[in-house]
Amino acid sequence: MVRRIGRDFLRRFDENPILTAEDIPFRCNTVFNGSPIKFNGEYLILLRVEGQQGYSFFALARSKKGFHYDVDEKPVMLPEKSGKFALYEERGIEDPRITYMEGVYYILFTAASRFGPIIEIAKTEDFKKYERIAMISAPGNKDGVLFPEKINGKYARLDRPIGNDVGSIWISYSDDLIHWGHSKVVVSPRPGYWDSYRIGASVPPIRTDKGWLEIFHGIRMTASGPVYHAGSVLLDLDDPSKIIARCDEPILSPREDYERIGDVNNVVFACGAIVEEDRSMKVYYGSADTSICMATGNLDELIDRTFND
Amino acid sequence: MPRKFRQDVIHRWRENPVINFENLPFRCHDMYNAGCIKIDGEYILLITIEKLDGRPAIYFARSEDGLYFNIERNPFITSSPDEDFKEYEEMGVLDARITPIDGEYYIIYLAMGRHGIVLSIGKTKDFKTFERMGIISQPDNKAGALFPRKLNGKFAMLERPNTGDGIWIAYSNDLLTWGEREAVLSPRGGFWDQGRIGCAVPPIETEAGWLLFYYGVKKTSGGTLTRIGAAILDKDNPTKIINRSNIPILSPRELYERIGDLNNVIFSTGAILEESGEIKLYYGAADNCICLGTTTLSEIVDFCRNGLEEF
Repeated sequence: MVRRIGRDFLRRFDENPILTAEDIPFRCNTVFNGSPIKFNGEYLILLRVEGQQGYSFFALARSKKGFHYDVDEKPVMLPEKSGKFALYEERGIEDPRITYMEGVYYILFTAASRFGPIIEIAKTEDFKKYERIAMISAPGNKDGVLFPEKINGKYARLDRPIGNDVGSIWISYSDDLIHWGHSKVVVSPRPGYWDSYRIGASVPPIRTDKGWLEIFHGIRMTASGPVYHAGSVLLDLDDPSKIIARCDEPILSPREDYERIGDVNNVVFACGAIVEEDRSMKVYYGSADTSICMATGNLDELIDRTFND
Repeated sequence: MPRKFRQDVIHRWRENPVINFENLPFRCHDMYNAGCIKIDGEYILLITIEKLDGRPAIYFARSEDGLYFNIERNPFITSSPDEDFKEYEEMGVLDARITPIDGEYYIIYLAMGRHGIVLSIGKTKDFKTFERMGIISQPDNKAGALFPRKLNGKFAMLERPNTGDGIWIAYSNDLLTWGEREAVLSPRGGFWDQGRIGCAVPPIETEAGWLLFYYGVKKTSGGTLTRIGAAILDKDNPTKIINRSNIPILSPRELYERIGDLNNVIFSTGAILEESGEIKLYYGAADNCICLGTTTLSEIVDFCRNGLEEF
């Protein structure tokens, strides 16, 4: 029963969800929160797959045009079983976000363990060999996204620590991708709004003439649990801790059954977007922590929308 | 009505508390704990005091004998009006931990603001002027303490991040950007330090390794019990625990430790190792006074190694 809701800014793909557990060539619980990238003329999505054991790992999906995907036979990144990362990945690896920079595809993801969530960074050049670089946050942090270029000579990232029980989007800088600092708050929850409870970075920032476009997730807490929406904000190109514009209304909200009903109800959670040459966008998002969906929009219209025009 | 409890490894000074509300030249709500350092024979404390407006600030006190202190009227570190720090310090600054490195005294303190609690670092040469360097953590992070020398060519810090309830280490080349984190010490189920733990005193170098005084919290139905324990960490790789005492070295017993705005709390952010081998541990008790406890280096190292005999 698909209800075709037309009110959201982003338009859902007619054939949503594009990937479910049924499409994975091995047994698993769910597939959600995947990060897309164009590589060698192909569309790839690095998928978060939750195994039936309960912990998550990554698999790779491929498509010629970005609509219909085939998933590789085997997972591409599993929690490490030995070495220095093993202890901090003992409960899985989650929510990858890919950023392309200077010939390298960087992947920020969340490592889960007894200590809580920690942001890790890995890299690949060919989507065959994946190499972990470092853990880049203290425990209690997630939703890390790397900017696709250096800002004032430094690498920059957004993330979502929790302070005073409030989850805001923060920015941090680094010279070497390993040691991070100069942290500041960028975007905070707005009381009374759809993003009143917690917010976090979702899509790695997209450079536009008007600023860095960040598609984030905003959570409202209700008596029956959280509701996850997607929203957008524009950050200053030279100092991304400054907000230029922020959408008043979400650009996508849980409405269809596949977004309302699943392992975690009422979730739309983007982990990446592809901007095409004609400025059209494909935003890939996890729905209800159970499947992967796609929605489309136009970059210029989204910028206008972020200014609430 | 002090009861002179004698069974803890740390011996209480007979005239505790060292600093009481009556010793302050102004009125305040609370007095938490004190970072400390000995410079040219003079004892210096940086005391966290909750001002009457409800916000804590860090005050300077000095003494010739480490027993009787004069406290300055104006705070040494207080919430900064500076644009870079304002939002992060607006609710107060507290828990100064002092570490000397190469003629500078580095101070890591907690900054409280609308976004939670973060670690902030600054430095002084003379305890007259204080220069803020920057915020060095994301929220909520507490109990930040710098090692007094570089480890394997890098600055090292202990911290207590938002989740996990334990002590972590992080490394830095410039004191401002931090990484290479690892877990060091975690709470122990069933023990006195089962709830959460954090570094109390900045690590003290000994022949046995880094001597770490840490605080451990146990949750009870009537609130929390905060005590001090000790551990020895490997000199080159502090994530290796050489010894960890199986019982606390100091627990709330005396009335001034039991009763205050925060009952049953012993919390320390500083100790002084004398040339004689004596250790002076300055601790806050029940959030209402500063006390002194003493032991010797050999006694505490021996205690970490052997602990209490199990029955």
